[in-house]
Amino acid sequence: MARLNDDAQWIILMGFLVSFSFFFLALVINQSTVVGQTTAESVIEFPKTDIRDVKQAIGQSMKTNDLVTVKDDIKFLSMNRKGSVVDYWNFTNNNTTFIRIHYNNGVTEYNENWSYV
Amino acid sequence: MKNSDGQLYTIEGFAAGLIMLMTAYLVVNATSIYTAGDTHISDMQLEALGSDALTIMSTPTDPPMYISNTNPLRMIIESDDEGKFKTMFLNLTNNRTGAPLDYSNADSTMDYIQFNASYSCRNQNTTAIFPLSYSRNLTGGEHTVRATKWVIVNKSASFCGTTNKDRAVLVEVLLWRD
Repeated sequence: MARLNDDAQWIILMGFLVSFSFFFLALVINQSTVVGQTTAESVIEFPKTDIRDVKQAIGQSMKTNDLVTVKDDIKFLSMNRKGSVVDYWNFTNNNTTFIRIHYNNGVTEYNENWSYV
Repeated sequence: MKNSDGQLYTIEGFAAGLIMLMTAYLVVNATSIYTAGDTHISDMQLEALGSDALTIMSTPTDPPMYISNTNPLRMIIESDDEGKFKTMFLNLTNNRTGAPLDYSNADSTMDYIQFNASYSCRNQNTTAIFPLSYSRNLTGGEHTVRATKWVIVNKSASFCGTTNKDRAVLVEVLLWRD
């Protein structure tokens, strides 16, 4: 029986290396698009600007001429136009105003205490 | 007699074929996900752009005065200044190098971000929505995203059930690319 010719083993090995590298490059392309999608989805879902915005409005509302009406506005419109539960409580002690905020849109819940002079 | 000389080459061929199939599968799969991912990414960027524009518009030009009359967005709502909102918002969202865009020309071949803005307030236990400004009417086919901004206003006249009182209103802007 004729002996199997094994002259070009190195060439075959290099061929395997190249094909495996293509395989892993394809894997990288595949994963990179998923990363872009999931990142964008979570950025859209997380209400970062909503919370900042409502916090700013609540801070500004402390200097208005009718705190009760403005508070009702913020609570009512948050529920009806933004689908989120917003509530806050404030009191002033020794010229420092303390505010406690509650925010919940069903996905993200956020609570914060802050104070200013 | 049966010849069994090329067994190794046959196995190698099968292995190479499998690797090629797997690679092709991964590449095809990646492109099909890319379309969905692409929509989310541009939506996110458009929403962030709209929020940023509204934040700039509601920043008082006189910083220490928290809810002063130097807040451009507040002044726009208090005077129902449709034209000023349109100019400010379009300039902020479409700023770019080169010749300025001609927003007044509806048939412009230039591609820019369109918007439709309104604001809502609470009247007793109902929501009242007022149109604020728009760059083009909605036809229903647009893929819009929404950006919102809280503003505290004091419209001297009777407004949403009260008179001469500070009120919180929610500005909502739908924006889209043509």
